[in-house]
Amino acid sequence: MRFDLTILAPHIGFLAEGALLTVQACILSLIGSVILGMLVAIARTSAAGWVRRLAFVYVDLFRNIPFIVQLFFFYYGLPEIGIYIDAFTTGVIALSIAGGAYASDVIRSGILAIDNGILEAAEVSGLSKRKTFTRIVLPIALRTSVRPLGSVLINMILTSSILSTITLNELTGSAKIVASDTFRPFEIYVVLLVVYAALTWLVSLGIGLLHRRLNRDMLEPVG
Amino acid sequence: MLKVENVKKSFGAATVLNGVNLTVRPGEVVSILGSSGSGKSTLIRCINGLEKLDAGLITVDEFDVSKPKELAEARKRSGTVFQLFNLYPHMTALKNITLAPVEVLKRPRDEAEAEGRALLASVGLGDRADAYPAQLSGGQRQRVGICRALAMKPRYLLLDEVTSALDPEMTAEVLTILAKLAAEGTTMVFVTHEVEFARQISNRVVFLEKGTLLVDLPTKDFFDPAGGLAQPRVAQFLSKMRKD
Ligand SMILES: Nc1ncnc2c1ncn2[C@@H]1O[C@H](COP(=O)(O)OP(=O)(O)OP(=O)(O)O)[C@@H](O)[C@H]1O
Ligand SMILES: [Mg+2]
Repeated sequence: MRFDLTILAPHIGFLAEGALLTVQACILSLIGSVILGMLVAIARTSAAGWVRRLAFVYVDLFRNIPFIVQLFFFYYGLPEIGIYIDAFTTGVIALSIAGGAYASDVIRSGILAIDNGILEAAEVSGLSKRKTFTRIVLPIALRTSVRPLGSVLINMILTSSILSTITLNELTGSAKIVASDTFRPFEIYVVLLVVYAALTWLVSLGIGLLHRRLNRDMLEPVG
Repeated sequence: MLKVENVKKSFGAATVLNGVNLTVRPGEVVSILGSSGSGKSTLIRCINGLEKLDAGLITVDEFDVSKPKELAEARKRSGTVFQLFNLYPHMTALKNITLAPVEVLKRPRDEAEAEGRALLASVGLGDRADAYPAQLSGGQRQRVGICRALAMKPRYLLLDEVTSALDPEMTAEVLTILAKLAAEGTTMVFVTHEVEFARQISNRVVFLEKGTLLVDLPTKDFFDPAGGLAQPRVAQFLSKMRKD
């Protein structure tokens, strides 16, 4: 068999649409995960015991169930009880919920790593607990979490390929279609390998830059 | 007036403050000396409400720090400068200074910023307003820390070994500023190991030993052979400090 990438030329547009869908789903899910992760991280430090337990159950539960099972439950299970959500929305929700469990861990450790002296300075200055959280704790925790949140995003890009199982023609889904249309699975999956690798490589490059930019003023040596 | 009356504080089985009495009147500079572990930091932390008292009473201008409702008022009247600066790392020097005036005192931002810049200029950091803590030297950081406390216009400035993380040159920078503040009549409670400096700027010197105030005398008397120095522990402490 001859390795011939040119046979894919007519399908480039279709594949690009799939890639765009992957990127869209991942960006939305990242936003969802960080917001959810933040809320859950806050809940895990809540004064109310039942809130803490609920948050803990969520994190434990969604980390210990295969993503594909979560996804099938949302997409094929929920309609049985009258809840219909389209494939893209389902995918974003499922990725957000799964990613949120990891993001909450990341953000929580970012919060716990904050030097207590900084919090004491805020406290004696009379800053309220809420203001201390929004103006000091959260910004510091988020910027120190950029790298691990980047890993969550990369994981999300990889996991998003599973969305093809619920009829969503994102990158993997459209590749499958092209493969079966052209009968050239070798070429198409080589391309898929390269595109995923490039995508995650680009993202981790971006994360590194963002991390350095945000923490620029914190990284410079003590002088 | 800042009043500490018969204050007791233990951590588990260890009694750290065992009936401390101290009065600081407006305009006074009171230095607190004492060996390591004698409870100096704990005393400061009781005054600014970071530690709860086990017994006794601390009032800052009549506001009882043990009563949650009064603590907020008490805290508005005292400003704390920390040994390790404790600046907010994600904010510029100016932001560090204006955060509490804007959020707590509800001062208009532009006024708070103008005052913040003036404070920075007064400590020789007029051109570093936009620098982040990590871009400043230790001495510069501590000067920002002092500005941050002063920006709240406290009646009492609490300073806990504010130069002990600094090298001699930076220590001198910071002490110059404290001397200026003292000369301007700023009320200060000054925990320090800088005995000579304490002697220069204080109205009174107190000596804390194992959680009790062993000596509380006007500065001149504290260093007098018939006064503070008559206490063997004080004499021993001072001669050790001089040797170091
Ligand atoms: N949070 C705490 N938990 C337990 N013990 C504590 C705590 N804070 C202080 N101590 C203990 O209380 C004693 C007094 O501590 P403190 O920090 O007040 O001393 P200090 O006079 O400030 O000493 P230094 O000159 O070394 O700063 C020490 O034995 C210390 O170990
Ligand atoms: Mg101390």
